[in-house]
Amino acid sequence: MADFRLKAEDAGQSAGLLDRAKTGDLDAFDQLMRANEKQVLGTALRLLGNLADAQDAAQEAFLRLYKSLNRLPDVQGIKAWLYRVTVNVCNDMHRARRRRGWEPLSGPEPASSQPDPELAWAHQERGRLVEMALKTLPEKERAAVVLRDMQGLSTREVAGILGSSEVTVRSQISVARGKLKKFTDRYLRKHL
Amino acid sequence: MNCSDWEQDSAEFAEHLKVCEDCREFERNAAALRELTIAPVAFAAVRQRVLSEIQVRKRQAVWWTWSAVAAAACIAIVCVSYVLPRLQNPTSPTAVVAKMDAPKIGLTPKPVAHRVRHKSSGRSLAQAAPVRKTEPLAVVKMLTDDPNVIIIWLVDQKGDSL
Repeated sequence: MADFRLKAEDAGQSAGLLDRAKTGDLDAFDQLMRANEKQVLGTALRLLGNLADAQDAAQEAFLRLYKSLNRLPDVQGIKAWLYRVTVNVCNDMHRARRRRGWEPLSGPEPASSQPDPELAWAHQERGRLVEMALKTLPEKERAAVVLRDMQGLSTREVAGILGSSEVTVRSQISVARGKLKKFTDRYLRKHL
Repeated sequence: MNCSDWEQDSAEFAEHLKVCEDCREFERNAAALRELTIAPVAFAAVRQRVLSEIQVRKRQAVWWTWSAVAAAACIAIVCVSYVLPRLQNPTSPTAVVAKMDAPKIGLTPKPVAHRVRHKSSGRSLAQAAPVRKTEPLAVVKMLTDDPNVIIIWLVDQKGDSL
């Protein structure tokens, strides 16, 4: 489970980085990006289902972070703020893509962490299936299920990020899980 | 707890997974997506792009700042060299007074033979034209800053301007 609260030592270190980044120190900003890149790029990849688009979204999210450094009160707020911005950027990209009516070609596939090649392949296929299923969900449901089930946030944290109530998030996740299950079942029945 | 309302790290969830095949399947799928790792090159590429974009924006900001400073300096120079001296020391127009006779109008009546009688009006031209008294006019010339502009003020004897 992700926790936005940092340990005292990490918080002190990150606060120092944030202060230095606010003065225009690019090395400090680079360190801040390294500390949050897995969260940002991982979320964007799960929301967009394409590495190239996810990289664009992550770039935009970090540029917005750089522009807003002076408005961020403390380092504790960065993670939640970045989640919120990443979800918004991904939603914008989704809408722009829908307006233009094209679907990008898939970029290089992310690798599975499984050491056994056969298991790794099975994992990768399963991952691809969920990615396809996620693409069929409306953006709010997709964001809710990605943040809670893939990123491991609590319902309260997801509600805070999406600006909804906990009840709404619970209902969105419940509906989304049902749709994902229906999609994967149908797909597997068709292809196996 | 029901199938649609579990959270991964709750103790209830582990118990629930043992009995619910649907949730086990969903958790396997979610875990597969969670475990997909992104190559370090992809992270490095994003960082590189962000840093170079920031540097480009910084350079643009410096350029705009210097352009604004240069424009402000130009405006200041124009103000100092042109507007301020005129505000501090305005040149008043110079008045030159000279007397000039007014042109003589309608003193000699036209010969009767050439008179044409207009049926419509029923009056001759000589009768229609009023005879104006000739009085000398005072001419006041006002010289301005611009040598091409001279204000001429004609004043009759009574003091009314024309």
